[in-house]
Amino acid sequence: MKSEYEKTTTTKDQNEKTRGINDYNEDKIDWREGMNPYQEAGGESKRNVILVMRTNPDSDSDDNQRKLQEFKELTRALNDKVVDVIVQERYPDRKYNVGSGKAKEIAIAARDLKANRIIYYDPLSTSQIYNISKLCNEAGASCRVMDRFQLILDIFAERATTHRSKLQVELARLRYELPNAKMLISLSKKEERAGWGGLGDYEDSYEQDIKKRIARINAELKKADLEEEARRIYRHKNGFFVVSLAGYTNAGKSTLFNALSGEQTKSLDMFFTTLIPKTRALRIGKRKLLLTDTVGFIEDLPHFLVDAFRSTLEGIYFSDMILLVIDFSEPVEHIRKKLAICHETLWEKSTSNIITVLNKSETMKLSERKSKLRELSHLIYNPIFISAKTGMGIPDLKEEINANLPLLITQTISLPNNEKGAAALSWFYDNGLVDEILYGNYMTFEFSATEDVMAKTDEMVARVN
Amino acid sequence: MFTIIAVDISGRHRIHAGYFMVCAAVSIEVTPTSIEKVNEINTAAFLFSAAPELTDIVKIIESTAEKIKAKGPIIIERGDLFNTDEPLAKSLFTREMRYQESIGERKAIEVAHHVSLSSRNLLLKENGMDVRVFEE
Repeated sequence: MKSEYEKTTTTKDQNEKTRGINDYNEDKIDWREGMNPYQEAGGESKRNVILVMRTNPDSDSDDNQRKLQEFKELTRALNDKVVDVIVQERYPDRKYNVGSGKAKEIAIAARDLKANRIIYYDPLSTSQIYNISKLCNEAGASCRVMDRFQLILDIFAERATTHRSKLQVELARLRYELPNAKMLISLSKKEERAGWGGLGDYEDSYEQDIKKRIARINAELKKADLEEEARRIYRHKNGFFVVSLAGYTNAGKSTLFNALSGEQTKSLDMFFTTLIPKTRALRIGKRKLLLTDTVGFIEDLPHFLVDAFRSTLEGIYFSDMILLVIDFSEPVEHIRKKLAICHETLWEKSTSNIITVLNKSETMKLSERKSKLRELSHLIYNPIFISAKTGMGIPDLKEEINANLPLLITQTISLPNNEKGAAALSWFYDNGLVDEILYGNYMTFEFSATEDVMAKTDEMVARVN
Repeated sequence: MFTIIAVDISGRHRIHAGYFMVCAAVSIEVTPTSIEKVNEINTAAFLFSAAPELTDIVKIIESTAEKIKAKGPIIIERGDLFNTDEPLAKSLFTREMRYQESIGERKAIEVAHHVSLSSRNLLLKENGMDVRVFEE
């Protein structure tokens, strides 16, 4: 059976179909029924999902509760129905991640509740997926066993609509599959091992296949990245300042983007609503800037996903200013964890100015806001209380953005008052700020612009004169 | 601006002489996104014959940090305490500690890391210690 995931991920070359493990299996691998970890039961309809979370003894129970809530929200992003949540406190088991008794309980629950998916919070090894799938099969359940990483990949695959984002998702999936490729083939052929080295060809060819596809996608993405970089340089040279919205997923970035730009971008109370960055030009005061809405951060974001979406994240790192959006209506501990994750994502690569936008502040009193701010002061820089939904604090935010943008250089310019001079004047209007013009034989004005633009003014004036 | 004591330990692997570790504690004033001022630095070297346990690491950190005059919480990298959960790690210390969170704190740990690593390299060179990694 072909999973929904594979249906949504295709590469540019339609002739050379993007192959998931299932497509490969059709040709070469004979999975025993119900044991393919990539098999999806339930089809297009709302899937029944069992969530499994293992917590370490002595771990913080509030934090575990927060993680579980977030885990449930993630499944909601795929419109799945959570039919059961199974939590066990113990150290990880090598075979099933949870204890063997609990694993059997999960298999029986999957059968009784007609579950289509069993999703583990912890990352699972290929052999663990195999063992749990085998247990489910023996219990009579037909479901796909996966971990949180695969769930995130599925969400990304569903949201990816542009060619570039589809390539990024495909790359992330292949990088996730690569270390497990040999084990996957080995397990699938467990029953029919011919002898020492008997399956070498299968194992190697599948791994080689993945490696080739990674190389091909990397080459294609590199081309797209160069175009993106050229666009970024062009924007800077033309006097635009780039402001990025960053923050934890579901913090209200898209709602704020709409409030600032007057757009009607899709904004939902759901994780990963935005996957493809959107940029809109706007004016704040006299300054021209580009506002970019982008993908949200999440705890324990898998490294292969970070690598695949590197170019998207670079859009944030290389901006002139970052608006770090936080859902301030949440409990202090949750905000602290989420802010720490945002800082972790930004710290090594970004040198941009940061304004911490405390969204959803309308839900609490001023005293409560101040006390929360005091507790989190070590993590909050340039705080602004706003409500993207009601518009509260948006003027203050615009003022703060204006005050924190890089300084402009000002110079007095004189252009001859003729046709050529008028044409040049329009270039100055397009690339910076033109103050009152004194008309005579010459048009004299104060021109403020970025360093890049200023470097071009002498040439422009010389050409006119 | 806040004063913190960023701590880092270098040399957690075994060499022929045993586990030769250098701990650096750096008192730094930070904002949420940057380092403003470095107040004071203290380093201490430790040689263990067996792999240090969690309680040993806590002792190493506390004994190095206590020589710092400026007050402030100890900030440590999670990995230095074997990724122990924060509430459990906090209970092992006699003074306030937490894992790094803000960009400023991460930069402070980076400073402490450079100090401990370069101090260890210098000590190894000066003492003529064998730096070959021990193999069973």
